[in-house]
Amino acid sequence: MVRAAGLVKKFGGITAVDGISFEVRRGETFGMLGPNGAGKTSTLRMMSGLSPVTAGELEIDGIDATANPRSVRDVIGVVSQHDGLDPDISVRDNLTVYGFYFGLNRETAGRRADEVLEFFDLKTRGGDSVDDLSGGMRRRLSIARAFVSRPRLVILDEPTTGLDPASRNRVWEQLAVLKKSGVTVVMSTHYMEEAAILCDRLIIMDEGRVLGAGSPDELIRARAGAEVAQVRPDDGQRDNVQRQLIEAGHDMSEIGAIFVVRGSNGQRADLSNISGARVSYRAANLEDVFLTLTGRGLRDE
Amino acid sequence: MNESLAVRREAGRIDFRFRGVAGVWLRHYTAFKGGWMIEMTGILLEPVFILAAVAFGIGKLVGEVELGDGGVKYAVFVAPGIIVGNAMWHALFECSWGAFRRLQTNRIYDSILAAPVSMRELALGEITWGATRALMTTAAVLAFATAAGLVESPWAIGILAIGVLTGFMFGGFGLIAAAIAPTTHMLTLVFTMVGTPLFFFSGTFFPIGTLPGWAQPFAWALPLTHPVRIARALATGDLHLGLLWSLLYLVVASLVFYPIATHLLRRRLLV
Repeated sequence: MVRAAGLVKKFGGITAVDGISFEVRRGETFGMLGPNGAGKTSTLRMMSGLSPVTAGELEIDGIDATANPRSVRDVIGVVSQHDGLDPDISVRDNLTVYGFYFGLNRETAGRRADEVLEFFDLKTRGGDSVDDLSGGMRRRLSIARAFVSRPRLVILDEPTTGLDPASRNRVWEQLAVLKKSGVTVVMSTHYMEEAAILCDRLIIMDEGRVLGAGSPDELIRARAGAEVAQVRPDDGQRDNVQRQLIEAGHDMSEIGAIFVVRGSNGQRADLSNISGARVSYRAANLEDVFLTLTGRGLRDE
Repeated sequence: MNESLAVRREAGRIDFRFRGVAGVWLRHYTAFKGGWMIEMTGILLEPVFILAAVAFGIGKLVGEVELGDGGVKYAVFVAPGIIVGNAMWHALFECSWGAFRRLQTNRIYDSILAAPVSMRELALGEITWGATRALMTTAAVLAFATAAGLVESPWAIGILAIGVLTGFMFGGFGLIAAAIAPTTHMLTLVFTMVGTPLFFFSGTFFPIGTLPGWAQPFAWALPLTHPVRIARALATGDLHLGLLWSLLYLVVASLVFYPIATHLLRRRLLV
């Protein structure tokens, strides 16, 4: 569905996307996980035909996106980070008018608007002003809007950033249902839970590059093992604990006041000899993968 | 890779879809319809107040103004200027202030451009709506002026077309301002530095001939001077071939402003 090869985006002298390559298969939900500034939004904007490609190849649904950005926009739906909803018209009109941009006639646009309002549980709010919606509803409306044109590919840029946990769950539920409908989804996120729950496959990005690719499980198994240890030093023991861990040759990173220790060969790290700290084990996650790849946490600013 | 083929295909035809323009226009129409009672009140009342105060109040003091071979009542002289001047204000406001809100404050342009609407179509949709607003105010004030007996010739119906052209010209100009303004403060400057002087010095309220000699060429260069001149000729029936120059000015300015606005918007948004 999507094929990018050596894709580059430069803004003046700054390289936002530094020659990335990836493929998205038809019908899958594909994630781009990375911290702010990783190049996710720049990549999605190039895919949406909103930002010229500096160099490299980009093909979407068989269309050369570097030469025909508009033909791409005919077949995709885009949900940007800032919702870009229209406060001058009602909730329902936001959807019908969006249909007009795709050349739908009044009747078809109206019917599609009612369909997506129903699906996204916004039916009762159709006549309201966009400004009266909660943050979660606004986001759902902006996702709903991307579906008015019945796209083959939907591009979501950080669909739950800025939402409270309840709203986030709601959006996740609806995206999970949409996934079953067979639409291809490409989404960026810096929440590892979101990537783990929704994405069939993902790439991990940092500083404009792809650091790893695969399904969430594959990536975790390959890069972080099944379980990681969390070592919490007792008061005043940080340096002592760090020295012990280094001397034992453990593969570890420090996040906040905790050392995260990865195992090797699929076994969890044996930390029975470490003194001056509390040790606990938990299942490894994508955050650990990111930590392994970059030495930093996902939310480090 | 089929890149060269695709590039050639894109270059070989002009990629312009009328439905993109129509989509943007319909968005504006939808928004307008939602508050049309309030909008129409504004469209009608403000120029009517100005017309009433200037034409009947100040007109009493001024008496007659020389026009062509004879003289006309001041109210008759000033009415076409106010009609077209308002067309300018509406198009300018819609395409600068309104466009800036959509562009920067609410980021609606990003959403529109993520749909298959090109910048060229978006800009033309904005300008066409500006011209639509200009037509509405032109029709409303022209009707009032006619009812008040300030229109002397049936040619005055042509003022509707002049209102539309004025809308296209100032819509394009307003959109240029919106595309380059960093903040709304800068846009306010467009109204005070451009809109206001044009409204008063384009032969709207007094003949350009009354200005000092050195200032007259400047007044003739002003864009509002030309639609006012044509509208006045239509309202009084004093038509002559020299008006074609003013018509040419209107058309050329519109055709120049539009692509500049498109270019500047592209530079601002499609990075």
